[in-house]
Amino acid sequence: MFELEQVLHRVQKPARYVGGEWNTIYKDWGKTAVKVAFAFPDVYEVGMSHLGLQILYHVVNSREDALMERTFAPWVDMEREMRRRGIPLFTLESHRPVRDFDILAFTLQYEMTFTNILNMLDLAGIPLCSDQRGPEHPLVIAGGPCAFNPEPLASFIDLFVIGEGEEVFHELLDLYLELGGHRAGRRHFLRRAAEIPGIYVPSLYRVEYHPDGTISAIEPIAGGVPPKVTKRVIRNFDQVSFPVKPLVPYLGVVHDRGMLEVQRGCTRGCRFCQAGVIYRPVREKSPATLLRQASKIVKHTGYDEISLVSLSTADYSRVQEVVRSLLDQLGDMGVSVSLPSLRVDAFSVALAREVQRVRRASLTFAPEAGTQRLRDVINKGVTEENLMEAVSAAFAAGWQAIKLYFMIGLPAETEEDLRGIAELARRVLARGRELGVPRNRLRVTVSASSFVPKSHTPFQWEPQVEMEELYRRQALLRGLLKEKGLVFHWHEVEASFLEAVLARGDRRLGRVLEEAWRLGCRFDGWSECFDFARWQEAFRVAGLDPTWYAYRRYAYDDLLPWDHIDAGVSRKYLVLEHKRAMEGKVTPDCRTGKCPGCGLCPTLEIEPELLDRAEGVSG
Amino acid sequence: MPRYRIEFRKEGPARFISHLDLVRTLERAMRRAGLPLAFSQGFNPHPRFSLGAPLPVGVKGEKEYLDLELVAALPVDEMLKRLNDQLPRGLKVTRVWRIPDDAPALMATLEKATYRVDVSLAREITQEDLQRSIDGLLETPEVIITRRAGEDKEKVLDIRPGIYALSGRLEDGRARLEMSLAVGNRGTVRPEEVVLVLAERFGLPVKDEQPDVIRTGLYPAEPEKSYGG
Repeated sequence: MFELEQVLHRVQKPARYVGGEWNTIYKDWGKTAVKVAFAFPDVYEVGMSHLGLQILYHVVNSREDALMERTFAPWVDMEREMRRRGIPLFTLESHRPVRDFDILAFTLQYEMTFTNILNMLDLAGIPLCSDQRGPEHPLVIAGGPCAFNPEPLASFIDLFVIGEGEEVFHELLDLYLELGGHRAGRRHFLRRAAEIPGIYVPSLYRVEYHPDGTISAIEPIAGGVPPKVTKRVIRNFDQVSFPVKPLVPYLGVVHDRGMLEVQRGCTRGCRFCQAGVIYRPVREKSPATLLRQASKIVKHTGYDEISLVSLSTADYSRVQEVVRSLLDQLGDMGVSVSLPSLRVDAFSVALAREVQRVRRASLTFAPEAGTQRLRDVINKGVTEENLMEAVSAAFAAGWQAIKLYFMIGLPAETEEDLRGIAELARRVLARGRELGVPRNRLRVTVSASSFVPKSHTPFQWEPQVEMEELYRRQALLRGLLKEKGLVFHWHEVEASFLEAVLARGDRRLGRVLEEAWRLGCRFDGWSECFDFARWQEAFRVAGLDPTWYAYRRYAYDDLLPWDHIDAGVSRKYLVLEHKRAMEGKVTPDCRTGKCPGCGLCPTLEIEPELLDRAEGVSG
Repeated sequence: MPRYRIEFRKEGPARFISHLDLVRTLERAMRRAGLPLAFSQGFNPHPRFSLGAPLPVGVKGEKEYLDLELVAALPVDEMLKRLNDQLPRGLKVTRVWRIPDDAPALMATLEKATYRVDVSLAREITQEDLQRSIDGLLETPEVIITRRAGEDKEKVLDIRPGIYALSGRLEDGRARLEMSLAVGNRGTVRPEEVVLVLAERFGLPVKDEQPDVIRTGLYPAEPEKSYGG
């Protein structure tokens, strides 16, 4: 501990590494059968803003026979000190080395954290590759959205959890206890774990390739191992165990407020969106449950703000009722309510107006594409009229700054669509002026990210637009958006390119990841750390061409690297949706009761859990 | 509205939380404790409380202070208990007492802080050696140092007037220094600066290691203004 204290005086934000936050759970190490370290492969402030961490911390620690402690990726200054002094990766609760735990569980929230996973394994003193680990090393597991294409990490992770973790984590721990731990026999444990629905053990599958590098087969190498691993979904979501005593960080984290999950899943069916597929079907909680949980969260945390989180909170059937009840119940205690994202319509603005405690910050909307044609291609059910109504309501209510999120490089995008983005932004600006927003205050920010094709979506077969072309499109937009009151933000093209490579990559990319890490890649999601030249060198050394992964158009009948991971939505439906996209046909929101036939409900024997069927919801 | 002065300790993991984070942590603990807090006016109301001189990150505080305003009076014992039930590891309230409604703000009254600093030594020295370094500093009329002030600005100042007292003894091979230094609105001297001056100009063989610093107390210029309970 003396060593650690010395180090803490030399790093930025030492509170990232000390623990001791309110609601931290401390258990008796000697008396607890299974010890799990939860690893978030990014800095503390990002990890502690993540609801999934709070949920799993609560799920595991609610068991008598298990404990979960936390560890985060040390920032570069801390890593330097740890390596210099030989301090291994440790947890915040007991400051024990991660290596001493039974299970090390990573969460995979975005591809750009992958090198941090390797770095954390190395700092922990755990061999990077599964096949080099022995009984003295923890079992290394991973879950989260990026587990839906786990292949680039296949050689580093012993098993992946596909889908929602609340139930399957218990099953995994039960098996662990039953078999007396993996230390009794790692291979045997993994064989048995592979029989649990939703558990994918990559070492139990063989991948074969055609001479041109495409995949010819992905097959289990042993009996009892399922050819396809289907995601786990929580049924009766209203009753799911939810953390009402979440950890309260000292540091100002990214989302520093109480989180109340009002629903899981989204019914919109935007064709680029992976979350919309992997969290299907939509499941709403009842207002009574939400009010009860909200008041407990406030009582146990002292937060002055509760955020209603979900993929699309304005779509929650009883949102208005819940917002009003919460304001009634908590307003006197000085607690406010916030909404993380807004739907593009006047209803959402009215809601935002109801909850806001008059901090006149900007409002953000995501039309995603600049023309109706392209919005139909991506099935973003938003019209220009919706947007103009929304911004009119916002300006009328006193907001002076609007942020608009778009994607460039979407399939079938033309110059017309880029011009459409600029025109839309100008129209919003003009509306602000008409409604009397002072010219020096009025601001419309256009933020353009680059489209990244993701697995399990109708656009999974689509190539990413080439980097040179993306630069050209960014430059075009930048030129079109030069006007007082307009601001343009864009994403780093090289980072989006790498994200596409990893998002649609296969097992062979493990060599690249390892090489990139060796060359010093860390925190690739942070522009101050991202170094594309090192990645290019890593691809060269590994003998793989990144453009082959990012720019390749897959054929419908190609075997995709993630085809053995089943998100519940049928391939037939994804093909149909892809074709409809190319024809510019929209598909209805399943909340309206018109089933688009994605195949998920019959496959998983589940139904959407909706309190009310919406009538003609607009985007 | 009733005003209270609260004395607390900040140590263990909590000593690594910054001043700003401490404010947030205390605010949340007060909300959990269900105290009848008085809120500031404005769009973003906050409980009305103010802390004494900020404690640098990493420094333990044995007697730190904050002033709190409530909308209704509460027995001080109950307040102490309710707060301690809700404070995270390393933060502990040691005393609560009521102060006059018109008592001046904490920051305005505090002028002196005492510190205990344990310094590791690069080689063995005698008590006489240590005393010689200390006397050397104390006999110097002017101690000019350069202090970083922001990203690339530097400030040159004389810290000698702000060193009110300094003594030391050897303990377990380390030098234990007791300092009484200026703090507050009219200038602050940092204990690390004193250690650095001892090392660089008065021959104290300090090891390249972070000294263990405890702020043992905070005092007003005139003791009667402490409104001590």
